Amino acid sequence: VLTGALVCPHPPLLLPGLTGATDLAPDLRAACLDGIRALAAARPDLLIVVGGAEQAGTWDAGLPRGAARFSAGRVPDRPAGGASAAGTGKAGGPVPGEGRVLPLSLAVGQELLDEAGWPGPRQLHSVAADTPPAGCFALGERLARSADRAALLVLGDGSARRGLKAPGYLDDRAFGYDERARRGLAGDLAALRSLDPELGRDLLAAGRAAWQVLAGAAAGGPPPHPVVRYEGDPFGVYYLVVSWEFRAATAH
Amino acid sequence: VSRRRSLPERAGERGVTLKLGRRSFADTDRLVMAIVNRTPDSFFDRGATYAADAAMERVHQVVAEGADLVDIGGVKAAPGDEVDVAEELRRTVPFVAEVRAAYPDLVISVDTWRHEVAAAVCDAGADVLNDAWGGYDERLAEVAASHGAALVCTHAGGVTPRTRPHRIGYGDVVADVIAVTTALAERAVSLGVSRDSVLIDPGHDFGKNTWHSLELTRRLGELAATGWPVLVSTSNKDFVGESLDLPVTERHNGTLATVAVCSWLGAQVYRVHAVRESRQVLDMVSTIRGHRIPARLQRGMA
Repeated sequence: VLTGALVCPHPPLLLPGLTGATDLAPDLRAACLDGIRALAAARPDLLIVVGGAEQAGTWDAGLPRGAARFSAGRVPDRPAGGASAAGTGKAGGPVPGEGRVLPLSLAVGQELLDEAGWPGPRQLHSVAADTPPAGCFALGERLARSADRAALLVLGDGSARRGLKAPGYLDDRAFGYDERARRGLAGDLAALRSLDPELGRDLLAAGRAAWQVLAGAAAGGPPPHPVVRYEGDPFGVYYLVVSWEFRAATAH
Repeated sequence: VSRRRSLPERAGERGVTLKLGRRSFADTDRLVMAIVNRTPDSFFDRGATYAADAAMERVHQVVAEGADLVDIGGVKAAPGDEVDVAEELRRTVPFVAEVRAAYPDLVISVDTWRHEVAAAVCDAGADVLNDAWGGYDERLAEVAASHGAALVCTHAGGVTPRTRPHRIGYGDVVADVIAVTTALAERAVSLGVSRDSVLIDPGHDFGKNTWHSLELTRRLGELAATGWPVLVSTSNKDFVGESLDLPVTERHNGTLATVAVCSWLGAQVYRVHAVRESRQVLDMVSTIRGHRIPARLQRGMA
């Protein structure tokens, strides 16, 4: 059962230090942190973090976030976040220091959780970016069933083709696609389930698979009550921060 | 936009702190010293800031452009009309007091070789004595000590102030510069100048031909390796002009090249005419070097 869910984007600029002396998106960061605090307020027993990556898998929470890969080694990772990260690595998981680093999406999730001071245990899962919708739904359903009272943090963002200066240049289809995603994340589960993987790939929408994991996790449960905390494309990439509350769970 | 003060990468080869006036600097900091001439005849500005109000206007401008120090001079370096002590005092002392009043924290340097002038400008608020003629007046270092001022120890090839080099030769100019400047620095410390307030200056063009100044620039790392903070004064000088065969008015880009190279090799203070441009070059070199974090990265981060 889900106590709540939060969707956040995962640009590298949310990792500390990568943007130099200036925090490019303090408002985006603040919206994410507010969302995490709202998740914590529902007192879940477990936090499940899901993000897109090259491959599906589960990840040790103690793995490095790997800011080095985006900075030629000049920006070190923040020291692993106190009790939260150090104490909750899954038993038997891969040992840190073997060259493995978290995928970007999960690294950003871990960073935001540390910044917000998330106190409880975390479970990290990646979903392969090319997973068909049905596979995403199935993973979501499985994760939702896996714990009595779990909160879900979903890392995903929209198209990176929303302007001439966008990372992927301008593609007019980006706006319709992101609008469908926005409707979906604002509670229209059918819209969320209908996001097309091919188009999403063309539009460099990194969040499609993870968002559809959320759609699966929410299926069959009480309807979500969404709170949109941030919406924008300041750098040509579509970012959304949305909290989902579930009445049945929070009424405990 | 909020500022994050993270990751100051102090590669700190030495970690020495330089103290000038009320301010302290890490060895990886790069300081711009703006030239402010109270002279009617200096080679580059040709009297543009001789008048007190024009000189003060120049101070306002260079502070706004990011200067860490001003270097006030009352006597042009090259030969020319005689400027006696009384006239040098008249040009510098009231002006130093005026600058001090306007900018309590600005590091004020005065370019003089005369101990009488040195004492008077220190009393008026100067923090640094820029002895560009290499210890010609032996009492200058005593004044720095007694007034708690910093001292720039320059290699001038042993020439008399305001003379040009004539057929000067060195077996190894860099070795001579290191021997002379570090001896001056140690002497200053022995007289009571604070060790963290002594700089050395190889004295480009002073008692040197262009080959010598180029060699000093090329091997500036050897000066930095002495551990003394290095000041360089290359702005629009003849070795730049002769390298490029350009008149004084067209040496700007060549000067910036010297700033970049000296910064890479470890010089810490830059006595320049063009403050804004020098500040940019120094910031860029420090950023490449990894001693300064980039101001604002967006590329690839969205």
